[in-house]
Amino acid sequence: MDEANKESQAQAHSKHNTGAADLEKVTDFVEEKEISGDNLDNAITAILDKRKLEAEQKAELERRLASVKVKKEDVELICHEFEITKPKAERILKENSGDLRAALTALVNA
Amino acid sequence: MPSSNPLPSHEANLFKKILKCYEQKQYRKALQHVKEILKKFPDHGETLSMKGLILNYTNKKSEAFECAQRGLKNDVKSHVCWHVYGLLQRSDRKYDEAIKCYRNALKLDPANLQILRDLSLLQIQIRDLEGFRDTRYQLLQLRPTQRVSWIGYAMSYHLLKDHSIANNILEEFNKTQPKTIDFEMSELLLYQNKIYQEAKLFEKSIKHLDDNKNFILDKLCLLEKKAFALTNLNKNEEAAKIYEQLIERNPDNLIYYQNLEASLNLNSIDEKLNFYAKLSEKYPRSDIPRKTPLLFLSDSKQFSSYVEEYLKRSFRKGITPLFKEIKCLYSEETKWKIIESLVVGYATCLETDNKFSNDSSQEEPPTCLLWVYYFLAQHFDYLKQYAKALVFINKAINHTPTLVELYIVKGKIYKHCGKVYDAVVCLDEAQSLDTADRFVNYKCSKYMLRASMIKEAEEIAAKFTRETSHPAEYLKEMQCMWYEIEAANAYRRIGKFGDALKKCHQVERHFQEFIEDQFDFHSYCMRKMTLSSYVDMLRLEDRIKSHPFFYKASKIAIEIYLRLNDNPLKEMGAELDTNTENLSPAELKKLKNKQKKQQLKAQNEKEKQQQLEQKRKELNKQKNKEDSDLEQPIEEELLPEKLERPENPLEECNRFLKPIEEFAAQYPETHYLAFQVYYRKNKPLLMMKALKKIKKNSNTVDYLAKFHYCACKFLLKYEKEKCSYNTDVLGVIQNELKHLELFGQSVEKLNENFLSVNQNNFESLIVGSKILYDLNPNENQQKALDLFKNISKENLSINLITAIDAFRSVAENHYFGKCSKEEVENIRTKLKEFFTEATIFKTPEEQANDLINCVQGLSINSFVSSVNNDITDQMTSVNIR
Repeated sequence: MDEANKESQAQAHSKHNTGAADLEKVTDFVEEKEISGDNLDNAITAILDKRKLEAEQKAELERRLASVKVKKEDVELICHEFEITKPKAERILKENSGDLRAALTALVNA
Repeated sequence: MPSSNPLPSHEANLFKKILKCYEQKQYRKALQHVKEILKKFPDHGETLSMKGLILNYTNKKSEAFECAQRGLKNDVKSHVCWHVYGLLQRSDRKYDEAIKCYRNALKLDPANLQILRDLSLLQIQIRDLEGFRDTRYQLLQLRPTQRVSWIGYAMSYHLLKDHSIANNILEEFNKTQPKTIDFEMSELLLYQNKIYQEAKLFEKSIKHLDDNKNFILDKLCLLEKKAFALTNLNKNEEAAKIYEQLIERNPDNLIYYQNLEASLNLNSIDEKLNFYAKLSEKYPRSDIPRKTPLLFLSDSKQFSSYVEEYLKRSFRKGITPLFKEIKCLYSEETKWKIIESLVVGYATCLETDNKFSNDSSQEEPPTCLLWVYYFLAQHFDYLKQYAKALVFINKAINHTPTLVELYIVKGKIYKHCGKVYDAVVCLDEAQSLDTADRFVNYKCSKYMLRASMIKEAEEIAAKFTRETSHPAEYLKEMQCMWYEIEAANAYRRIGKFGDALKKCHQVERHFQEFIEDQFDFHSYCMRKMTLSSYVDMLRLEDRIKSHPFFYKASKIAIEIYLRLNDNPLKEMGAELDTNTENLSPAELKKLKNKQKKQQLKAQNEKEKQQQLEQKRKELNKQKNKEDSDLEQPIEEELLPEKLERPENPLEECNRFLKPIEEFAAQYPETHYLAFQVYYRKNKPLLMMKALKKIKKNSNTVDYLAKFHYCACKFLLKYEKEKCSYNTDVLGVIQNELKHLELFGQSVEKLNENFLSVNQNNFESLIVGSKILYDLNPNENQQKALDLFKNISKENLSINLITAIDAFRSVAENHYFGKCSKEEVENIRTKLKEFFTEATIFKTPEEQANDLINCVQGLSINSFVSSVNNDITDQMTSVNIR
């Protein structure tokens, strides 16, 4: 009796698990196929230039933000009042040129 | 492979085999090889790490970590050890840690493809899009000969919304590749086109579609995309042709009809009527062309004749969801009035001689009358004329007593009247008429939860859950969230806050899981080229917590945490002490004895529970051993007793509050909840932010009232605390108050004004009286209560849900402070005038009787006795169920 019960349970179990096998395949390891192309290299260089330009623009913005000096206690106040992380608080303060009141207003209206 | 500790060639070969076996998921075999190496070199770092990795997949978490740690210690110069350690951190969902490990590994082996790939997967998972782009760039440089390298890099720009570079990469790549006719190529082309359209390059998109139409296998998608692009370019004629094709393919897609109508530029009603008449002739089986004219017809005569035809046809055919189909017309009073007079007419004629009208020659089938009754019941229910609705639903049941749908509607009508137990009886009847219908089963279970009959609800739900596990446990496993939310509400109603919170946290965890579940698809979708759907999935996951289920669970959880913050539960076992002020010594002694007994009983029960818990844990362990495919980290168990005694309830809110502030910002209720949390935390700027959002999103009376409430609370707090605020904070607040025209206002005046303007509105009255009380709790309690009591049916309309909420708040003493029993009783009888039928406004004895009657009539009977005992206990302590 017990045996039969177990068996039917096992059967029920397997019935509920159809689809699990398919899901298993999602995590299979498959090595990518290699493709060939005559001018893959040319294609890369075309893109490289674009990337350079863009990186420069971004660096410029970061440089500008980095030059802004902020007070530590201002950052802490923002963290405390708005429950946000330090980097975020610092960023917002810098975006507002270090003006605490402007930063607070920006956050209230965010 | 560079390692500080190279193996001799035999073992090195074995190590390679380990890697191979691991990739092919042959974990047992891999472990055998590991054993062999470790026999000779027990401290070999990389082998130990691999052992850890494999053990992790066979679900031996702690051992796995130990191995990986030891491996790393023995060989910190090995990228394998760092990589493995990162993988373990990842499977533990510690993504930041994992990224650090990968970075260390890359320092040792900067060009390792596998590590870069794993890194990119993590970056996309946590949406570090710029990091993802940089990693994909490295991968492309290292492996330009793999398709995925190109697509991954392009996608990184697409996700960063830099469409032109994304396009560029794909274009450059496609130039190098010959076109093939297969699924992958087709998906790639459609993905490229998706980017064109998102960049609004519609000309380019059309050309791209035309050039590649032979290579795009998903013809439906091709047509839809082309039509969309043409519409955006105002090429309406061409678009119309495609929409015609699309309707031909699927005449039941509403969007096609709407777009076709728009692109044909039909202006007059006659043109539109003509248009839909033709389509109706062409697609006689489609409901859309028949129904749409009902929406735009404004002339009542014309509407009447169209709707008459529509209704008659539907009644003859017995279209069950007819009311749902045309409910959208009820926003216009003239329309529902026409419908009402027509259908009531049908009912009288059909009753006498089976015809829709006296002058008709056609005799109708007997079911027609049934569907007419069914429709009218829903019609009057929708218009809140419950008595009439009941008359018609009873007629329908007399006509055909075996139709399941009728009992569902009857239950719904009772629910709307607030008769929760009668509603349960109806749904139970429906359920027992067709026990194999899952939908009806779920409805019944839900109605039971609404009546706080949790055990009964479980019993009903158990008919569709796996026999081997507890229904609630199974429903959790199945992520059945409607159940968890309704159960949370039910538990909250009966004061079991811990159990309610447990359900809310379960829902939150489901969402966490949804987010985790993405992980495997990052590599899978790129490989399978299902790029458009993949990007759609990423976007869906970004906003997954905007789902109503998450919102509902969050609202319940936050409200409970607020309640627990204002009025924390006593320590375990101490909850029995009631107020002993006005008891005689003899009574006190009696009470104490009783309490002791109860405590003993509680303790016994607790012990029993602990034993059970222990057993369950052991069982779980066993199960885990057997179950080899459980990659998830073991989560902390949710214990109701712990949940309802949080150390800091307001901090606990964050898990729910922060996501809804981000994803459900459109609901004023979100900010109302946020305000209440920040008010208690004394965060003036966050309060101000919430206040402004409520104002911005409020247009109903209900939320204008809530704005008033928050504004007053803010001003009161501000006056009290402003000395302690930082000057900049103060400056910002004063500025914002001026914008809101609240600066320098007196709360008393504001409130007086508010109350006099909004006399006829219950929501405003509740809020106004609450502020009145808060202004001076000692003196104003009576005044506030009087405001509440003096409402009358002549000049005030109330909705049931608001009334119930308000009544509960007062009765549970957290609205006007502690109120005397008489006062609560007065309010109860007052509200009963408005809702004569509602269970909640009946006396405790009446409620107990209703419940007993209800339970005795149910198809399941296992809880009758336990409920009977419970009832008397419960009803005497709290008069709300």
